[in-house]
Parts: sequence; C-alpha cells; structure tokens
Amino acid sequence: MTSTPVIDVDRLSISYGDFHAVKDLTFQVNKGELYALLGTNGAGKTSTLEIIEGHRTATSGTVRVFGRSPRDRQAVRHRMGIMLQESGFSPDLTVRESVQLIGKLSRRTDRVERVLGVVDLTHKSAIRVSQLSGGEKRRLDFATAVYGNPELIFLDEPTTGLDIQSRDALWDAVDKLREDGSTIVLTTHYLEEAQQRADRIGLMHMGAFHQQGTVAELTRTLPAAVRFFLPAGAPALPLQATREADGAFLIKTFGLQKDLHILLGWAHANAVELGELQAGPTRLDDVFRAIGTA
Amino acid sequence: MLSIALTELIQIFRNRLVLLNSFIIPVAVCAFFVFKHETFADLRSLGYIAAVVMFTVTAFGLYATTVTTLASRRQTLFLKRLRSTPASDVSILSGLVLPVTVLGLVQVGAILAVLAAVAGKPDNALLLAAAVVSTVVMMLALGLATAGLTNSPEHAQVTTLPVSLGAIAVTNWVAITGTGELTLLKRLLPGGSATELVLNAWNGGVPVADSLLLLLPTLSWVIVSAALASRLFRWEPRR
Repeated sequence: MTSTPVIDVDRLSISYGDFHAVKDLTFQVNKGELYALLGTNGAGKTSTLEIIEGHRTATSGTVRVFGRSPRDRQAVRHRMGIMLQESGFSPDLTVRESVQLIGKLSRRTDRVERVLGVVDLTHKSAIRVSQLSGGEKRRLDFATAVYGNPELIFLDEPTTGLDIQSRDALWDAVDKLREDGSTIVLTTHYLEEAQQRADRIGLMHMGAFHQQGTVAELTRTLPAAVRFFLPAGAPALPLQATREADGAFLIKTFGLQKDLHILLGWAHANAVELGELQAGPTRLDDVFRAIGTA
Repeated sequence: MLSIALTELIQIFRNRLVLLNSFIIPVAVCAFFVFKHETFADLRSLGYIAAVVMFTVTAFGLYATTVTTLASRRQTLFLKRLRSTPASDVSILSGLVLPVTVLGLVQVGAILAVLAAVAGKPDNALLLAAAVVSTVVMMLALGLATAGLTNSPEHAQVTTLPVSLGAIAVTNWVAITGTGELTLLKRLLPGGSATELVLNAWNGGVPVADSLLLLLPTLSWVIVSAALASRLFRWEPRR
C-alpha cells in the first residue's frame, strides 16, 4: 500500500441554511485502503460522501479526488464506481439492461455476464428490476459499482438487506478488488464488518470526527470488560467491579490479561465458580456507544 | 446520450399507461380532427386543424410526458444514478427527452402528412416545419421548467395542466378569432404566435418575412423556460 492520497478532504464544511451538517472535516484516503466512514444517525456521513462523489458542492473547504475536483465528472467519474444507499434503477428495465446502461456510461470495459456472475444474478438477467427483492437490488447496485474494476469504489450501506451468503460473496468480491488495487470507501451500520475489513475508520458524530484511526487506535481508548456472576456468599473480589442491573459483575480494565489472571487465580484459590464468564477486548460497538456518553 | 435514449425508448414501450396517455390518445384525437376535416375547415380553415393537431401532440404527448418522465426518474433516483457516471448533465437530459421528442415529431409529421394527403397540401411546407420545430423546442423547455416544480409523476398530473390546457385554449382562441384584436396579447401567450404561424403556413396569404417574425415570441418562451429550468430543475428528490 502506498501513501498516495486518492481522496483528500481539507476543512470540509457543509451547511443547509442554519444547520451545519459537517464541520471542518479533514482526512485522506490512500490508494488501496479500505476506509470506513461510520457515525451516529445524522452525523453527516451521507453529506460528506455526496460531496466526495461530486453530487453536491461544499459550503467551504476543498475536496480532491485523484487530485481533481469531484465535480469534474469527465475527469474522475470513469475512475470511480458508486454504490448508492438507495437503488436508483428504472423498474421497467431488466437487470441486464440496467448493468449495460451504467456500464456503457461508466466508460469502463467489462462483460455484463462477469459482473452479474460476481453478484449471482446471472439467472435474473432478463428479469425487470421491479421484480427483484430488496437484497437483489442491492446486489445489482454492487454489480454496477464494480463494473470494469474501478480504481475507487464507494459502498454506501452495501450489505443492508442481504442474506449471509450474499454478504460473504460481496465481501469476497471486495477482497478481490482490493487485491487488484482498488480503494474502497465504506459506510455501514454493521460495525463488525468495519472492524474486520477497514484499514482505517473515521467515526463521525454531529458533523465532526469523534475519532479517526485504525481499529486498534480507536478501541485502545476504552477499557476491555470482564463480566461474570458470583454465587451467594462469595468472598470480596480482588479487583474493583461494578454491579449491573441483572446482578452480573463488571470489571473494566486496560490490562485485560493481567487482571484476568488475578481474577481467575482468586476464583481458583477460593473455589468460586465465575458464572457465564465473558472477557474480551474493546469492540467498535463499545467505542460507538461511548460517543453518546462522551 | 444514445444509450440513455435507447433505454428510455424501451421504457416508454414497456409502460402501457405512458404509451396510451402520451401517444395513442393524442393520435386518436388528431385522427378525429383529420377525419372530420371538412367540418373543421368549414368552421375556420385547414390551418386550424393543423394547429390543433400540433398542439394536441406537443402538449399532451411531448410536454406532459417530458414532465412525467423527469419527475419519475428523479423520484426513483434514476437521475442520481445517471449522474454517478461520467455522462454530462446535458447528455443525460438529452438522452431522456430524445425518444419522446422524436416520437412527437414523427406523430405531428405523420398526422399533418395525412391531413395534406386527404385535404390538400400546405401553402408553405418549410414555414410549417419551422413552426413545428420551434413549438417542439418550446414545449420541451416548458417541460424542463415544469419538471423543476413537480415532485412526482402523480404531481405531474396537476402541474402540467396549466400549460397543456392553456396552450390548447390559446390555439383555439387564436385560430378561431384571429389576431386582428388583442394582437400583442395573443402573440405573446405561449402557443399564440406558433398557432398564427401554422395558420399562415397552411392557408397562405401572408408574406413569409412577416410570418417568420412570429418565431420570435416562441423563441422567447424557449429562453424564459430554459432560464427557469436552470433555476428550478432538481436532480434529486427534496429531502
């Protein structure tokens, strides 16, 4: 992976009248990276994406894609594939006609059969879009975005409405595209997908970055958790713990291995069984939940 | 542009309601006028029938279909989808309206050709062609402007009424009463000068230079409508 910025956002602000949807946002996405733009509802993700995709103009700040303004459609659009959040296909066209049209307009070269095969829609190629299920429309959307293997791909909620097999197939296709050097910008509400796939994450809240970095960088700011139940009459715990509503004990720690060792040693020494013991590192979900309490 | 136009044409022929409302009904109305041409020629002139034919097709076929198509494509985010490609705004819009424009021109041309065959040729075919083309361009521009005010295909049933019914009313008013009185008003209303031009082209008796001046009000409506469209037209639904 090189550090050539494919996307360069500098002090981007977007306002709708008196409402400031995005405030002073700065970030870069490098070639070959999978960058996940996550955030709470109304955080400004879609507005930011639409500016980068060239669908809107910024109130202030600059956005460069491949070193050009994203509004310069002739210069940049053939290098990017966009999977919109909502379908945007004509219901009276067939699956094949839809891919053919967008493929032709993209100015990239590919075979319709290939991209339909990637999303397992070959058998539906003669079906009108109006007859597709929600998940099939998402797959069609993905097919048009990856037509001709563009250098930059925007995936806006790509797996919403997909069954597990389709999700796996979609991520396999994304992995293949990344092997070929494509850069991916992802938004999703499935945090585990971002946690597993993203090289870096921008976590937005109320129009600004709450945090930005790798998953490890984001999660290290919060303690890991150890959760368990204790039988009645158990001796005092060796570590500071809080009691949850269901009676479980919760230990938050930045030294998970050390404290877990202490806890298990104490349980062994006192012949105490730790019921439903759960221990694990901080997850992206925890970082997300912490936004509201920050 | 041509690939967009081709898919648009496919969609028109697949949507029976659009086909019926926009093409079959206007043609049926025009066929009635041609069939009863002697009655209407007695009432006014053959030029009157030609003007009514032209505005029936361009108002209900071309104009209303343009507005409905653009509102529909916006509502389904198809416009946004097309704008996600390198295609320019001009080529997207041109591709979307090209099939309905060509169909409109073919319809008007065919019906007027039938009228000429059964009732006699127009005095000046080139002038008639100029009237038809300028009217088509004006109705397209009005369609783009109206599409900016139209949120959905259902809404188009309301927003297209003032222009489509107004144009038909102006055509009948000008063709039946002539432009001897209220000349300026009749010529400045959308369709007024185009109707007079069709009457002159078919019936004859007016110097060509005088008739050509009647193109100016129509072209002014094109400029006004295009300016309005550039301000009003939206590519995505309101949030």
